[in-house]
Amino acid sequence: MEYIVETKKLTKRFGREYAVEDLHLKIPKGEIYGFLGPNGAGKTTTIRMLLGLMKPTAGSATIFKKDVQKEKIDVLRKVGSLVENPSYYPHLTANENLEALRKILNVPKKRISEVLEIVRLTEVANKRVKGFSLGMKQRLGIAASLLHEPKLLILDEPTNGLDPSGIIEMRHLIKRLPTEYQMTVLISSHLLSEIDQMATCVGIISKGKLIFQDSIEAMRKLAKQKIVLKVNNHENAWRALLAKGIKAENNQDAIFLHEESDDGVAEAVQTLVAEGYAVYRVEEEKRSLEDIFLQMTSEGNLK
Amino acid sequence: MIGKLIMADFLKMKRKGFWFLAFLGPFGVIALQMVNYGVRKEYLLTQSEDDWGYYLLNVNSFTPLAIVLGIAIVTSAIASVENETNAWKQLLALPISKKTVFLSKFMVLAFLLLVSSALLSIFTLGYGMYLNFDQEIPYSDIIIFSFYPYFAALPILALQLWIATVSNNQGIPITTGILGTIITYSSASLPDWLIWKWPAVMLEWEEPIRIVMLGFGFGFLLFIVGMIDFVRRDVK
Repeated sequence: MEYIVETKKLTKRFGREYAVEDLHLKIPKGEIYGFLGPNGAGKTTTIRMLLGLMKPTAGSATIFKKDVQKEKIDVLRKVGSLVENPSYYPHLTANENLEALRKILNVPKKRISEVLEIVRLTEVANKRVKGFSLGMKQRLGIAASLLHEPKLLILDEPTNGLDPSGIIEMRHLIKRLPTEYQMTVLISSHLLSEIDQMATCVGIISKGKLIFQDSIEAMRKLAKQKIVLKVNNHENAWRALLAKGIKAENNQDAIFLHEESDDGVAEAVQTLVAEGYAVYRVEEEKRSLEDIFLQMTSEGNLK
Repeated sequence: MIGKLIMADFLKMKRKGFWFLAFLGPFGVIALQMVNYGVRKEYLLTQSEDDWGYYLLNVNSFTPLAIVLGIAIVTSAIASVENETNAWKQLLALPISKKTVFLSKFMVLAFLLLVSSALLSIFTLGYGMYLNFDQEIPYSDIIIFSFYPYFAALPILALQLWIATVSNNQGIPITTGILGTIITYSSASLPDWLIWKWPAVMLEWEEPIRIVMLGFGFGFLLFIVGMIDFVRRDVK
């Protein structure tokens, strides 16, 4: 697999505190990589190191197979970014804001109207950014990050502070980017639901350490379901199941089946009915991704 | 590369009052002489045989103050344009070197102050001609009195820009700027090695051009030190 971003033992220390420790990020080409972690876990510090805004204490980051520290300017030519709160010049109009960046990036003037169109700010192009809503400023930030048609887009908490419709809009926009513009996207968030709806790959960071990194499907698999049986006299019913060689767990008021396949569940139910127990309910209990995320980050490591 | 950055920096200065300040500084200096000569021209004319020279001396008593105070204001203002929404992180994540970012800010301000100095020479000449001294106009002296203090102030510009760009709190460069202005104001009783004295020092030296060379040399040195420190720091 081709990795657009790869970090090796990336570490940043502030005084005695490790903000980021031994981070091995791997972001495959064309994916939307969700970089997930609670506030203060080291997401922004990592992103700042990827953008060359901070020097790592140890380790290295490679983007497009180039070392960020050594070939910073080359790397940044193909990287667009929006770090934390949007940065803008409030006394300038949206057009002028982009023009100030365009001059430096040396891209044709028509890109300004193109990116304004993408984020739907064309109508306010000549208004001063001072009067923009947070959502509009955020979109202007995205527009700025798209100016030079980057191949890697790094967005740090892009939906922070947006209202629900703004969040949905942002989500649609971000999902379009890999297919329409052949981009790879790194998006950080502290909200799992955000990442769940956008990302194709996930990395979870907690206390500066990467505790999970895989596809979103792999993470969903962790959200293992359980079959719950509610019967009368569950103590005896449980024993009856065990006698038949069906693995189960006796809980306070229910039986948890270890077997999840359709046949397995049917067999267990049939056994119980045949033995004369009344089956009140057969339920599927699903652990939410949120639970897994909370469990992972509180444990500090996986399992 | 640097050209584009400078153009971008000029664009960012729009509507921030930089150009107004560039005008206000020299205008203020001459306006003080308008008051001075307006009120007591007859008396002032009796003070010296060389009326033009005496007028230039009067103008020059305020020029260094205006320059040092002006530098404090514009360096802090140009840094606050980036500080306001922490645009540093956006600017420095662009494919440019941090060195050129710092150089561009310096060049833009150096140009702004050069414009101020040019305006000062024009205003000096204009009001001098209005006063209608019975003497030939000393053009070269007007140029010297208008531009030498500026060149002598380049080290202050480099130092103030350094302080302003690396401080998160703009109170710090403002404080050092005001302290500098106070030093300039009381420069007569202070030693020559203080850079804040340089814009005012030239009259005491036999060859005023030396202060220009010193300004360039030490200004360059402080600029390099400031740039290295700016590049070395992590962006907040």
